[in-house]
Amino acid sequence: MKKLLILTVVLFVSVLVNAQITKAELTATGLTCSMCSKATYKQLISIDAVEKVEPDLNNTAFLLYFKKGSAVNISDVKKKVEDAGFSVGELVVVFNLNNQQAANNSSFTLDNNTYTFMDTKAGTLNGEVKVKILDKGYIVDKEYKQIVKTAKQYPTYASNNKNLFHIKVL
Amino acid sequence: MNKLLLLAFLFIYSNTFSQELFVFTEPASNMPAKALGVRDMNGFMFEKDGKLNYHNMPELMLSINKKWMIHAQGFISNRQDGGFETEGGSLYAKYRFFSEDGKQSHFRMAIFGRASKNNAESHQEEIETMGHNSGFEAGLIATQLLHKLAVSSSISYERALDNKPNYKFPPMQANSATNYTLSIGKLMFPKVYTSYNQTNVNLMFELIGQRLNGNQKSFLDMGPSIQFIVNSQARFDIGFRQQLYSTMERTAPNGVILKFEYLFFNVFK
Repeated sequence: MKKLLILTVVLFVSVLVNAQITKAELTATGLTCSMCSKATYKQLISIDAVEKVEPDLNNTAFLLYFKKGSAVNISDVKKKVEDAGFSVGELVVVFNLNNQQAANNSSFTLDNNTYTFMDTKAGTLNGEVKVKILDKGYIVDKEYKQIVKTAKQYPTYASNNKNLFHIKVL
Repeated sequence: MNKLLLLAFLFIYSNTFSQELFVFTEPASNMPAKALGVRDMNGFMFEKDGKLNYHNMPELMLSINKKWMIHAQGFISNRQDGGFETEGGSLYAKYRFFSEDGKQSHFRMAIFGRASKNNAESHQEEIETMGHNSGFEAGLIATQLLHKLAVSSSISYERALDNKPNYKFPPMQANSATNYTLSIGKLMFPKVYTSYNQTNVNLMFELIGQRLNGNQKSFLDMGPSIQFIVNSQARFDIGFRQQLYSTMERTAPNGVILKFEYLFFNVFK
């Protein structure tokens, strides 16, 4: 019985540890050419938590795979794209979640970053969940300005907190 | 001149990709942060009496961060009687102060400055701090990438000083100038990307002009060029520079430019 209890605890803990960002689909803006794309690729691959980057040259998009069990800071992705000389046009992140309750304005914390749901149907999230980052610098400026106008019911939006992200479940 | 406009028009409205890694001018965009570029420019310029002036300009380029770039360049040529001589060098800095990105488009603005030293004799009214005059240059660059076309333009002030220790700047000549450039570029190949290993072929067309402050003498050159980008990392350019008109004395305005460049990514943390 004791063993079973320990096993249950260990399983529970490991499930929590397993909650992580596993993948990200990035569309970069401001570039067309393959030299610019390669510059961006070289920056992205230099992120410690990144295992593999698959570029889509024609759409200036990149599919990032993160190392299993590593803490992922999505602000690193933004910084690296900007270091290459370009911007993030869209960032869709894949979370591996376990019984995460989702409701607008509710949040969860992972690896020192807080994620607040916006524009999302209330429910329970399990397994691979795709979310779009809605904060400034992670979407095109035009879209950001539009959201700011209509985001009065989200008091934390546009608060400029670097560890607080607003996500929409896709 | 009408033919030129037509050529420029064709560049603008042809439906292909484009690039802004120009041969005769620098764009407002920078290299990726923490990258090191190595460049060698070879100029084969024809003097009026048929003599060939060979200029070699090796260059190191370092992007400190996304906004700042510095270049250090050396000037070697065979213009002096003693054969190949190291004539001097220059330091160049560029600061990108405005950047707006859209889907496959951007608009950037940058200011730049160059300080050059040259010890060779100069026999022309044209002011050129890249390989001819000691002096400095400061200017503004604006570059637009719009869908599949890149257009860049610059304006600058250039001031010549004495080519110390032996050659004073001729006191009767205008010692400062206003420069202006217009560059257009497009990618001819590949039409569709499949990998970073595909060789990219770019065609470019540039206009380079100068007006001497004071006496208002001027020239305008055109610079068509073809560029190959290998492995998305190495560059090989062949450019032709041809004077369209000039009201000032110039030693060797026309010639062929061969340029090699290699980019090392993430050279420092």
